[in-house]
Amino acid sequence: MNKEIAIDLKNITKAYPGVVANKNVDFQVYKGEIHALVGENGAGKSTLMKILYGIEQPDEGEIFVNGSSEVISKVETAINLGIGMVHQEFTLVPSFTAPENIGLGQEPKNNRGLVDWKGLNNAVMDIAKKYGFEVDPGLKMIDASVGVQQRTEILKTLYRNANILILDEPTAVLTPQETDELFTVIRTLVDEGKTVIFITHKLREVMEIADRVTVMRAGEVQGVSETGNTSITELASQMVGREVFLQVKKDEAQPTEKILDVQDLWVHDARGLLAVKGIDLDIKKGEIVGIAGVEGNGQTELVEALTGLRKASKGKVMYLDEDIASSSPKNIRRKKIAHIPEDRTNTGLNTQLSIWENLIGNSYFRKPLSSRGIFNLKKVGEHANKLREDFDIRAPNVSLKVKSLSGGNQQKVVVARELSEDPSLTIASQPTRGVDIGNIEAIHEQLVQMRDEGGAVLLVSAELDEVMAVADRVGVMYEGQIVKWVNPKEVDQAQMGLYMAGVKD
Amino acid sequence: MDKFSFKDVLVTVAGLFITVFIAWVLITATGNNPSEVAKYLYEGGFKGTRNIANSLYQATPLILTAVATLVSFRVGMFNIGINGSMYVGALYAGWAGYRFTGLGHFSHVTLCIAIGMFVGAAWMLLPALLRVYAGVSEIISTIILNFVAVLFVSYMANGPFRADPIAPATPRILETAELKQIFPNSQFNTGFFIAVFVAILAHFVLNKTTFGYELRSGGDGLVGMYPSRFSSYLGIPSDRSAITGMLISGALGGLAGAIEVLGAVRYFFQELEFNQGFDGILIGILGKLEPIGAIIASLFYGAIKNGGFYVDYKTDVAREIIIVLISILIFFVSAQKIVKGLEKYPIVKKLDSIFSRKKM
Ligand SMILES: Nc1ncnc2c1ncn2[C@@H]1O[C@H](COP(=O)(O)OP(=O)(O)O)[C@@H](O)[C@H]1O
Ligand SMILES: [Mg+2]
Repeated sequence: MNKEIAIDLKNITKAYPGVVANKNVDFQVYKGEIHALVGENGAGKSTLMKILYGIEQPDEGEIFVNGSSEVISKVETAINLGIGMVHQEFTLVPSFTAPENIGLGQEPKNNRGLVDWKGLNNAVMDIAKKYGFEVDPGLKMIDASVGVQQRTEILKTLYRNANILILDEPTAVLTPQETDELFTVIRTLVDEGKTVIFITHKLREVMEIADRVTVMRAGEVQGVSETGNTSITELASQMVGREVFLQVKKDEAQPTEKILDVQDLWVHDARGLLAVKGIDLDIKKGEIVGIAGVEGNGQTELVEALTGLRKASKGKVMYLDEDIASSSPKNIRRKKIAHIPEDRTNTGLNTQLSIWENLIGNSYFRKPLSSRGIFNLKKVGEHANKLREDFDIRAPNVSLKVKSLSGGNQQKVVVARELSEDPSLTIASQPTRGVDIGNIEAIHEQLVQMRDEGGAVLLVSAELDEVMAVADRVGVMYEGQIVKWVNPKEVDQAQMGLYMAGVKD
Repeated sequence: MDKFSFKDVLVTVAGLFITVFIAWVLITATGNNPSEVAKYLYEGGFKGTRNIANSLYQATPLILTAVATLVSFRVGMFNIGINGSMYVGALYAGWAGYRFTGLGHFSHVTLCIAIGMFVGAAWMLLPALLRVYAGVSEIISTIILNFVAVLFVSYMANGPFRADPIAPATPRILETAELKQIFPNSQFNTGFFIAVFVAILAHFVLNKTTFGYELRSGGDGLVGMYPSRFSSYLGIPSDRSAITGMLISGALGGLAGAIEVLGAVRYFFQELEFNQGFDGILIGILGKLEPIGAIIASLFYGAIKNGGFYVDYKTDVAREIIIVLISILIFFVSAQKIVKGLEKYPIVKKLDSIFSRKKM
């Protein structure tokens, strides 16, 4: 097959202080294909794309776009070459609507030199219609769902006439439904002659949508294959450098006494609407209870109520023999309840602080880390470095700000802290979101180990695979209620899909 | 906090060079001789005991206001009202200096300082409570309180505390309340050592105690981060941290004012003018929000400030130009991107890793 080459990166090397993010990387994308770029967090995917998009400059290497050699020293150059990028973190103005965001910086002017809002609106709606996007031109981004924000980002690149679209981990923040919608959009884009580079570390998505896939590990390319000629297992082993088991290895649970007993719990959300409507739930020592369900069905509020971050409106949360329904987070933590929150960057971490300062958030007050209010920084350093090694946090040292870590490594900081103080009950909410395979596996193993040592775990996740593989019992949440309890070994995905959509037997 | 690294040194040096260049152009353009100005600037800052003492005297309140700024920033609050705390702290320290008689030197000074710090802290209570319980931006309330402070102290000096029938001023403080001046012809006084001690204490408390950790858990950035979900999630009451941080910040502002009155001015009068509360914001940022950085930056700023007075006295160049230059300097020093282009040179990378602070 003789295909035209849209992007050809040759021998790209890029070093940051302490790490080589890209090492002699060759990367080719054919015109009109969906090309997946996969690799663990920190593999160098974003860096490579930032080089292509003119945000970073390579130390070495050449870039060819549509056959001609280019020096892309700034983003404008990339845009003029027809390259568009949707970043992992969105770059939208929250108080602006979709058209305002899309036009920002390239607003059409009317003959008095003012912004031609109507023209802009029309232009945006035309593009949206062409690619089958649904856009509400009056909706401010702050009120829009993540999926809508993402589509706005994509429209922004199309408005700037992008022919080659780079999507950096677009599905990390999406629900399964939104992911499906995104895939439809991507297919339409390719049908209309665009080329898409799709970054992810979810291999099932690669197999579903991509034509070809390039695997990176530790800054180097491990292999390029057509998705038709490879398998998830092969890609996974290229990614982490060893065979991985996508199944979680665990023995039958040995539940003992009841540790948590939630009785008729009702919780309101931030807008004052009822989000949790009478939940009963119990967890025993030595078992992992999973909560599955499409996001936004009250899981967030349930977890917040259990961990003291939100007041329950009604009901009891019996922990051993005590009602902790309206306790403070501090009291709840004192009882050895750990919490891996779904919102990593604002709740789980203070990204302005260093790794060690984040790691000691639940232990700074105890000996030997501090005594009489004064830190023993040597002991703190040892403690933090031990966690860094045990939980494989990839950072040259623990004095680095958490801000500078990749998402997966940030999550490992949270997990390391929460599991480090020997909790009796661990409440884990979306614990592997934005985390790569190797580390997902590690986090799952840690949760199972917690269980085997007699701990109790509540696992709340929108990833159905995860709940089904890790939990011993699963409750499906729909509109604030648990509509079904299942044994994950006895149901299949299709059945679960029905329960998640609110269909009862 | 970002740790100091070679990159910071490089940014600072690059900033200095650009500033010197701009200064050269500005001074030449106003018809003066730049090398002469440079000479007097240097002499005024560093030459001879008296100039050095005066430079240190200028640095004294700046150390405190810079630390006051960084404490509030690092708990996630944007306190711009330190100048106000400084005024009220100065007024009441001065009042205590003449009002209480028959005390020993040490106890009198301690009492005056304690009252100055207390009043300075109390001044910050309102904006802190308004922020925490009513959501009123502390930026706005502290800016307003700066104006209120000026009017309030001038009323007090003119009314209730007025002693002098001719000029609106309080009585002179008693000798027992004086912070001693050490060198002849210089207002340098023992308050300098208090300021340095307090800054070192702040360094210790912020970085090496669990109390400091709790305060910082909800902040530690250049942006107001209160209220922090991270703190609440860990079970650290971020409301209490925010209020405590504001009170400490205000107390340090009050201390700066108290030292000015007890050590240099020795009474409070209506026209007494402070702006160190504002300079402290710049210096706090220049020192990377670290107390030790604040000491270094204040010493530097104090020397330039005193050099500026000397230039003013010796030449036709107004000392305001010094303020302009310092502003330009801070502008460039904050412009981290200047060195971004240099990063690709291996030598810079190498030096950066050598100069970076100790790793844990
Ligand atoms: N601006 C930066 N400064 C220093 N190191 C960086 C920077 N950006 C990325 N890195 C490092 O480079 C490596 C590759 O990062 P990245 O390209 O973001 O990985 P990915 O997108 O595959 O998760 C990581 O080790 C990361 O910590
Ligand atoms: Mg990335």
